[in-house]
Amino acid sequence: MIATILAAIMLPQVPDSTQVLGPATIYGESQRQELMHLTLGSVEVGQQYIENHFSGTLMQSLSTIPGVQASAIGSGQSKPAIRGLGFNRIAVVVDGIKHEGQQWGDDHGLEIDQFAIDRIEVVKGPAALMYGSDAIGGVLGIYTNYLPIKPLEGRVHLFGRSNNASAGISTRLQGRKDKLYWRLHLTGTDYADYRVPTDEIEYYSYRIPLKDRNLRNTAGREADASLALGYVGEDFRNDFKISETWSRSGFFANAHGLEVRLSEIDYDASRRDIDLPWQSVSHLTVHNHSHYHGHGFTLDGDLAWQWNHRQERSEPVSHGYMPTPPDDLERVFRKHTLTGKLGGKVDFSPRHQLQTGLDAEFQHNRRGGWGFILPDFETLSGGVFAIDRYSFSPALHVNAGIRYDHVFTAIHGYSDWFTTPDEEGIPRYKVRSGDIRRHFDSVTWSAGIVWSPGRWVLKANVGKGFRVPIAKELGADGVNYHIFRYEKGEPTLDPESSYQVDMGINWLGDRLTLRLDPYWNWFPNYIYLSPGSSYYEGLQLYTYTQAQVMRAGFEAQAVWTISAHWELEARGEYLYARQMSGAKKGYTLPFCPPWRAGAGIQYAFLEDGFAKIDIRIAGAQREIVPPEKPTDGWYTLNLSAGKSFRVGPVLLKTGLQVENLLNRRYYDHTSYYRLINVPEPGINASLMLGLEF
Amino acid sequence: MTKHILHTLILAGLALACTTPMEKDMTPPEILPVGDVASPLNCDVFTPGGVLPFHYLFTDDVALGAFNLEVHSNADHHTHGTEAGECEFEHAHEGLTEKPWVFNKDFAIPAGSTQYEADIQIPIPENIAHGEYHFMIRLTDAAGWQQLRSVGILIDEEE
Repeated sequence: MIATILAAIMLPQVPDSTQVLGPATIYGESQRQELMHLTLGSVEVGQQYIENHFSGTLMQSLSTIPGVQASAIGSGQSKPAIRGLGFNRIAVVVDGIKHEGQQWGDDHGLEIDQFAIDRIEVVKGPAALMYGSDAIGGVLGIYTNYLPIKPLEGRVHLFGRSNNASAGISTRLQGRKDKLYWRLHLTGTDYADYRVPTDEIEYYSYRIPLKDRNLRNTAGREADASLALGYVGEDFRNDFKISETWSRSGFFANAHGLEVRLSEIDYDASRRDIDLPWQSVSHLTVHNHSHYHGHGFTLDGDLAWQWNHRQERSEPVSHGYMPTPPDDLERVFRKHTLTGKLGGKVDFSPRHQLQTGLDAEFQHNRRGGWGFILPDFETLSGGVFAIDRYSFSPALHVNAGIRYDHVFTAIHGYSDWFTTPDEEGIPRYKVRSGDIRRHFDSVTWSAGIVWSPGRWVLKANVGKGFRVPIAKELGADGVNYHIFRYEKGEPTLDPESSYQVDMGINWLGDRLTLRLDPYWNWFPNYIYLSPGSSYYEGLQLYTYTQAQVMRAGFEAQAVWTISAHWELEARGEYLYARQMSGAKKGYTLPFCPPWRAGAGIQYAFLEDGFAKIDIRIAGAQREIVPPEKPTDGWYTLNLSAGKSFRVGPVLLKTGLQVENLLNRRYYDHTSYYRLINVPEPGINASLMLGLEF
Repeated sequence: MTKHILHTLILAGLALACTTPMEKDMTPPEILPVGDVASPLNCDVFTPGGVLPFHYLFTDDVALGAFNLEVHSNADHHTHGTEAGECEFEHAHEGLTEKPWVFNKDFAIPAGSTQYEADIQIPIPENIAHGEYHFMIRLTDAAGWQQLRSVGILIDEEE
């Protein structure tokens, strides 16, 4: 508990936080404090939650939170989405620094070690004030900056999963001596092809038989390491961290992207090997955070460098006018991101606080390989913001903030390495991206109120978020072999903006808590990749356009503590999305999640032991947009149980999870492989053994 | 209380939006063989220097878009689904010294059509590699739905 509080104090605070979480004095008080700290809808989970909901990927572990979706992209990876918005429409922020990989990619996962995480805060709504561009749909705030309290402490976790025969180990060692501390994390995972409850996959009337129900070549490996060194003084603290995340995983062998493919490779020889096509990613972060606490004010400074290196290799195959490439290096991306942040908070009085910040970011992205999808680019962006917070009483807070951003993007031209005959039949190296230079300005704002009369906590927030078009949206002009379509960027796109009204209605009773988070959202110019009716170079032409989009929905949750042992929980979420203008007027947005609901009953025993049975239900999704398919509804039954045992100075932790207990075959509408009819994984038991000291 | 009213209003608005009739095309177009004269069919054999007649019927419930015909070598035995790849050519051989035939052409369909019979004579070049080819038919409707059909054909001298 103390550790959590210390960690919370350490953090660069989230946008509208008015107070740091304190220890609970009465039941429900900590919940009330947590709810009151933001006027936007947010959910905070700790390490315990991640352990109890341990799943194949971090996002799958979080997907039981109403409003959070994990879009599976095959193998051991999934992409985050908040209220149906993902990719570059949410910001993943690690210890205050926006995580920058190639998050635009349909099958690119998160390069984050899920075992190194201490705390996660999901902000559901536009949080541009603190993070600028991309935080348009929300923020996945990940914190790994736990402050050790003992001279030496640590934990070792062993885990295994039945479905993809995965095994892993994660070790954390850390210690503190006077004012100095250190943390070390090491994680390694190895997994085999995952198993689906079907003997064959049918795609465009072509049948792909699966050996032993294994999804061919979805095996992978991951290795992560991080080291942090810190100083914690009376009024000054510094945390320096180096972390590296590395993974290699196969793509489903019978579909390269979404094109069905046969190969001479004997994929069925081993379930654990990684054959072509595969991807590997290395993400290195060096981050320094400094904090100074003065009389009535605080100062925070961050400097970070991220180096993301991604490779996608596949068997060289000629296509159209492209001859057989010389090697298997289809795509490589090398991206450097430098981030600098400076923030200050002034307490004018215990009731009145002003927070200001200044941040700058430089991105440098270079491509390679024979497959073109994203041009080289550099982006320089800077923002400045101020947030004012005022408490009329302990039960009534208001806040308002404003931010200005300027972003400069320089995109480099690219021409094919092979020739294509033009209309006269003369072979030409076709230009796939022009030289584009764009400046973007954006003013965003947010205002909110939280009022807590009696057992109620009522919140309202209105805010604007924005997102600068990415290089692919501006400059793409070529075949996306992933999805096998021709994508054409639009160099004149405006920054996407979004206006959102959020509300939170919470009732905190002694035994019953109720939570309802409705929202209404308007995009005047949502950037949408619209499938057209024409062809270009033999492929359907998709063009980036901007359309008005209206979205609305809610999340609801009820927790009823029946007795000291029994707890009942029910949750649900619904999202409605409509394109209000443009070529797809009347249609929804791509990968729109259907309604979801869940209910669980938990039995608690002997202090920290628990056993839980949970049902997850999703409705059918008939609201689709080309090239999607309607998806039937589904339900799964899931079990989880855990218990800790104290053995002398050591705490032994055990956890068991069984997902999809009935081994039901179902399709998740938001999964990447949904388009080629790959069902979700079948029954999956995860076992975790932990040792803490 | 105000919030409850607001919330009710939002839900009412949603319900209204949901029931507003929208004329949306929600299904892909269809590629249908035209009776006995459909061409090419799976496993058909064509000769270099000859003609490949294309004859199929396209339909859509709202409006058709455009179509594309493409021929490429299947020397690496990849597959695009539908029928291609399931056809075994007994005497298939590949003229490795010659260039494979690449044909790729987009065709328009008169706007607003719900039915279109495509009848196209595709000339086959003389000096192309013999062997297995894929004949791809791609069809869109005006809304952007796409239908694919892939046919395995053999380019070879007449026996």
